[in-house]
Amino acid sequence: MRGRFAGLLPWSLFFAVFGLVPLLAALVLSFYSMNPLRPDLTHWVGGANYARALGSPAFWHALRTTAIFVVGTLPATLVLAYVVAALLSRLRRGEAFFRAAIFFPATLSMVVISLVFKSLYAEQGLLNGWLKGLGFPAVHWLQDPRLALPSIMAMDVWASVGYYAILILAGRKTLPVEQLEAARLEGMRALAIERRIILPHVKPVILFVVLLNTVRSFQIFIEVFVLTRGGPLESTLTLVYHLYERAFYHFEMGYACALAYLLLLLVGVILLLQRRLIARAPVEVPAEMPLAPAVPRGTGRGAA
Amino acid sequence: MGSRGHPVVALWVALALAVAMTGCGRRDRGTTTVVFWQFSPLPAIQPVLDKFHHEHPGIRVEVEQLTWQSGREKIVAAVAAGRPPDLCEIGSTFLPGLVADSTLIDLTDSIADLKPELRGWRVTEYLGRSYAIPWMLGTRAMYMNADLMRGVGLPPENPPTTWTDFARAVEQIDAAGPDLKGFGMNAGEREVLFKKFMPFAWGNGGDILDSTLTHSVVYSPQNVEALRFYLSLKPFSLLDRQEMLDEAFTRGRIGFTISGPWMLRKLPESAPQLHFVVILMPRPGKDRGTPASFAGAEALGIFRGAKEKSAALTLARFLVREENAMPLYIATGNAFPAAAAAVEDTYFVSHPRDKVFVQQLQTAVAPPVHPRWVEIEEILNSELEEAIYGKKPADEALRSADQRIGALLQTGR
Repeated sequence: MRGRFAGLLPWSLFFAVFGLVPLLAALVLSFYSMNPLRPDLTHWVGGANYARALGSPAFWHALRTTAIFVVGTLPATLVLAYVVAALLSRLRRGEAFFRAAIFFPATLSMVVISLVFKSLYAEQGLLNGWLKGLGFPAVHWLQDPRLALPSIMAMDVWASVGYYAILILAGRKTLPVEQLEAARLEGMRALAIERRIILPHVKPVILFVVLLNTVRSFQIFIEVFVLTRGGPLESTLTLVYHLYERAFYHFEMGYACALAYLLLLLVGVILLLQRRLIARAPVEVPAEMPLAPAVPRGTGRGAA
Repeated sequence: MGSRGHPVVALWVALALAVAMTGCGRRDRGTTTVVFWQFSPLPAIQPVLDKFHHEHPGIRVEVEQLTWQSGREKIVAAVAAGRPPDLCEIGSTFLPGLVADSTLIDLTDSIADLKPELRGWRVTEYLGRSYAIPWMLGTRAMYMNADLMRGVGLPPENPPTTWTDFARAVEQIDAAGPDLKGFGMNAGEREVLFKKFMPFAWGNGGDILDSTLTHSVVYSPQNVEALRFYLSLKPFSLLDRQEMLDEAFTRGRIGFTISGPWMLRKLPESAPQLHFVVILMPRPGKDRGTPASFAGAEALGIFRGAKEKSAALTLARFLVREENAMPLYIATGNAFPAAAAAVEDTYFVSHPRDKVFVQQLQTAVAPPVHPRWVEIEEILNSELEEAIYGKKPADEALRSADQRIGALLQTGR
C-alpha cells in the first residue's frame, strides 16, 4: 500500500510546488494590491480587484475576444477532427503514416507553430504568394484588425485538429466490429451507420474533446504573444494576454491574479455544464480519457 | 495540440523560485562575487569581463545573459523574490517603472565624476537624481535603397534631408512598380509606434510632456503637423511589423525604412547585392527643425536588494569606459557606447555607415523618465494606432491622447 503511494510522490511534489502552491498563492494575492517590485507595499484590498475587473471595459473587451476565439475555433476543430478521424478509419493502407502526419502538429511547441505561421501570413509569405498567383491582391493577415483574430483562429484549428482527430479515432476503434457488420448485413448505408451507430458511440469522446478544447481555448496566450501582441487595435487582446500585460507591464500582480480567477471561474462553470452533458451521454464515459492517442488492446482491431 | 500557456501566475511563481535558488552576490575566500545580468551574447561580453578580472582580482563576475523575450519578467521575478542581481543592464523603456518604484538605488553622489564623460543621462534621471549609469545608447536612422532612388531619377548621393524631399522620393519610388513601396511604416505592433512617430514630432519642436513633467504637451501644433505629415506617407507605405519591414528592405521592396544599427551587419550578409545608404532622419524644412530620432539607452543599475553594491558599482564604472564599451559595440553592433570619447574612435572612420548613427545620436531625443511612463506610452501608442488605421484624424488622436495623459498626470501615483 505504502509502495503504491510512494510512486505518486514525485508527481505529487511537482504538482504541489508548481500547481497547487501558485494556485493558492494567486487566490490570496487576488485580494491584495501587490507590485512585485515593491512587495513591502503589499496591502489588503478585499474584493476591489474583482470589482475593478468587472467594471473595466478592457476586461470585457478581452473576454469578448476570447469568447469569439472559443466559439469560432471549437465547432471548426470538432467537425474537422471528426471528418479526419472518419477518413483515417477508412484507410486500408498507410494508416499509420497518415495518423502520424495528422498528429505531427501536436508534437510541436505552439511557439514554433506561431513562428511558422508568422512567415506564412507575411506580406510576402506563402499565402499571399498563392493569392498573387491566382490574381488576387495581397492580404494583410495580421495587420488588418478584421483578419488578425480569424488568422490566429485558423492557425489554432490547424494545430489542434490532429490531436483531437486521434482521440476521436481511438473512440471509434472501441466500437465492436460485429456491431458494424450486423448493421451492414441489415442493409444500412454508410451515412446511416455513421449517424446512428458510430456517432452515438463516440459521443462521450466528442464531449470530452469539446471540454478540453474549450478549456485550452480560453487559455490562448502564446499565439497572441508571438503573432500580434494583442493588436492591431486590440483586435486580438485575449483575457490571458490582458492578464499578462497587467502583471508584467503594469506590475499589478493582485489585479492580474483576480483576472486569472475570474477566468478560472468562467471555465469552471463551462466545465460543470459540459460534465452534465457528458453524464447524460448514452455510453459510459471512460473514467480517465487518455491524453495521448491510444488504441484499445485485446478487443481486436476496430473497424469504425 | 501544441503546448499552450499555463496561467501566467504559475510561470511567475516558477520564475521566482528559480531565481531564488540562484546564488546572488557572495564572498568566497576574500573574493567578492558580483552577479551581473545583461543582454549581450556571452562571447561578446566575456573578453571585457576577463579584462575586468585582471584589473580587479578581488572581484569575480558571475555573468548571465538575459533574453529580450523574457528578461524583463526574470528581473521582476528576481526583485520580487528579494534576490536581484548585483548589477543589471536595464533598457530605457523599463527604467522609469523601476525608478518610480524606488527599486534602484540613487547613484547620484557616487557617479558625479562620470557626468561629463558619458552621454544619455536623461534616460536615467528623475527629478535631478541618477538611478542608473548610461552604458550603451541606441537610436534609429533612415535606411535608403540607393538603386530604387537611382531608378526614379533621384541621385542617392544627394539623399532627401527635408520632409518635402523625403515625401517626394517616397511617392516616386512607390509609383515605380506594383511590388514596390516608398516607405516602411510600422503597424500591427502597437508598442513601437511612438518611437517611429515621435522623431518627426521632436524634429518639429514637439514633445510629450513639458519640462516639469507635470503637463501633457501632446496636443500641440508641432505634433499635429508632424502626425499629419507622417500619415501622408501611408498611401505609399508598406504597413507591417519591424522585422517584416526589415525583411522587405532586405529584398529591395521598399525605398526607405527607419531601423537600428543591427541592420548594418545583417544587410551585407543577407543581401550582398543591395545598395543601401544610411542617412539622418529628415527635418521639417531646410532651415527649420532638427533631424531628430528616438534615443534609447541600456543603463547599468543596482537594485536596492543587491548584496554587493560597492563591487557592482566598481564593475559598472569599468564597463562604461570607452575602451571597454567600444569592443562590445564592435562585437554586437546593437548600441553605441555612452562614453562621449567613443565618437572619436577610429572605428567610425573606417565604418562611415556606423558613423551616421553616431551623428544621429546628437539630435536623438529620449522619452521622459516619468513614474507613469508605461501608461503614458500605452496611451500614446493606442491613439497613434487609431490614427494609422484611419479611425481618427491626426488632431483628434493627439487631442484624445493629450486629454488621457493629462487626466493620468492629475491622478498622481
